[in-house]
Amino acid sequence: MTGRIRWSSVVAAATILFLLGPFVVILGASFDTGDNYHVQFPPRGFTLAWFGQISPKYVQAAWTSLVVGLAVAVLAGVIGTAAALGIVRSRIGGKEAFQAFFRLPVQIPLVVTGAVFLQFYYYVSALTGLDLLRGLAGLILAHLFIALPYCVGSVSSVLVRMNPSLEEAAQSLGATHWSTFRRVTLPAIRPGVAAGMFYAFIVSFGDVPVAIFLAAGDAATLPVRIFQDMQFDFQPSMLAVSSLIVIVSAALILAVQRFAGLDMVLPGGRR
Amino acid sequence: MNSAVQHAAAAGLPASGSSPAGRAAGAGRRGRRDPRAVRWGWFLWPTVAVSFVLLVLPQLGFVWMSLHADLGLGQTGDVVTLANYREILSDPFYLRSIWITLYLSVATVVVVVLVGLPTAYALARMSPLPASILLGLILTTSLITVVIKLLGLNIILGSSGMVNAALLGLGIASAPLQLVNNEAGVLIGLVQYTLPLFVMLLFSVIQTIPRSLEEAAEIHGATRLSIFLRVILPLAKAGILAGSLITLNMSMGAFTSAILLGGGRVHTMPVLIQQKIVQSSEYGIGAALSTVLLVFVFLLNLAVGAWAGRSGGRARR
Repeated sequence: MTGRIRWSSVVAAATILFLLGPFVVILGASFDTGDNYHVQFPPRGFTLAWFGQISPKYVQAAWTSLVVGLAVAVLAGVIGTAAALGIVRSRIGGKEAFQAFFRLPVQIPLVVTGAVFLQFYYYVSALTGLDLLRGLAGLILAHLFIALPYCVGSVSSVLVRMNPSLEEAAQSLGATHWSTFRRVTLPAIRPGVAAGMFYAFIVSFGDVPVAIFLAAGDAATLPVRIFQDMQFDFQPSMLAVSSLIVIVSAALILAVQRFAGLDMVLPGGRR
Repeated sequence: MNSAVQHAAAAGLPASGSSPAGRAAGAGRRGRRDPRAVRWGWFLWPTVAVSFVLLVLPQLGFVWMSLHADLGLGQTGDVVTLANYREILSDPFYLRSIWITLYLSVATVVVVVLVGLPTAYALARMSPLPASILLGLILTTSLITVVIKLLGLNIILGSSGMVNAALLGLGIASAPLQLVNNEAGVLIGLVQYTLPLFVMLLFSVIQTIPRSLEEAAEIHGATRLSIFLRVILPLAKAGILAGSLITLNMSMGAFTSAILLGGGRVHTMPVLIQQKIVQSSEYGIGAALSTVLLVFVFLLNLAVGAWAGRSGGRARR
């Protein structure tokens, strides 16, 4: 078409700038030689000093986030795959209703989910003496709740496209149900499971509104720690921590995109 | 939080869920029940049980609590009453909170559509390599926890931040603009939070619209604007609607952005819910506020769904 600049391209450039801006500023500021209480951009000099000053509470919070995220990913992967198999393969009536039921948690505002779980754990504790608010079990359960829909969705979308004759062939050649599942079905749906688990991890790792109800004090996750320090106690090493999260997340996303593909969790599926 | 992409699943968008055609084919193939066949239905029940225990029981308990008078200090009364709801629906403070939540969310949708649609269009009509690089960047921003984005935004928008420095330097403003700790800040935060998903969703929709349609319109003398309005817009309508609904849901429930860019001064419903329950232990009121927000969001979804179903028969892709 014509050579003149399209205004949609101008808007697109502004959008990219707007979306990337916060990350660029954080990366720049975390390597800056200034005092970091007054962030300057572009940075005045380059130093890694802030990374050496990251406070131990961030390190502890990072471990908490990692443990919770991995636990949620594994649980959501197993339960979500089972549910997807059930929905796609069974001949049960009212599948739409089941799908809607599994999607419900996504429509509940996360703050409500956090408040509801807090209250639920109080009840459980009063009734059975089991205190889910101590330790990480309560947080893992709540994150499992909000992450499960994505696993069910991504595994379902792969299962639907899978060619059933592969499994029929394996069975007719004498494979048992279990070995058919392990050697035919599982490899075929692995991208969906991987994407779902990765997404479950991301949901858990990034969450503030649920974790803020369930993981206070020493059990705080990394985003909750940063959230609280942003409100009450600005610390220069916060920028270094954030910067590390950005770098690690970006590397992880790149790797997952490369080896598994994130198309399953993307709206509409990217090709 | 970073729930950017997660809401995609919420609206049951094209990629997720099973296609009726696929299932019909499968059912036909396995027409007669083989006694040795796997009972796939059994796989469903553990998850249904888990979801039931985690969804229905806690929610019911919570709604039940909202129906008891709030005695403060985490105590609730013994008698079932609608007092909490009466208080919320008559106290101007709570009504204002409902109003702020609604109008900030609607404003976010308007901005996101106005900005996201041209962006998605430009990306969809770009050559594949730069488009996939830019989409990868957008995807990455959507997956990194929102706390970090807000930290960056706070730095950019603060009174000594880059935006104000630029405005002052260029002589556009004579004094630093107040862009954080107010509703403007929350709006910017909500756009930052919801825009990536909308762009990715609309990209996948516009990509399916053949370029030849635009060329045909151009040959017949249509201007760029009228091509956009009369070719792209009608074909992308269903996607725009789905994306707007997701954006609205995310904004109504947004907690982190509202607190961090509103500085605790913008009392949207999620902010109030957290304050009531965690800070002041007013469980009854907190539970009632949550229930009001929940019902509100559900009703909005139902209303938009019904409206789209009525008007959208032929607009659906």
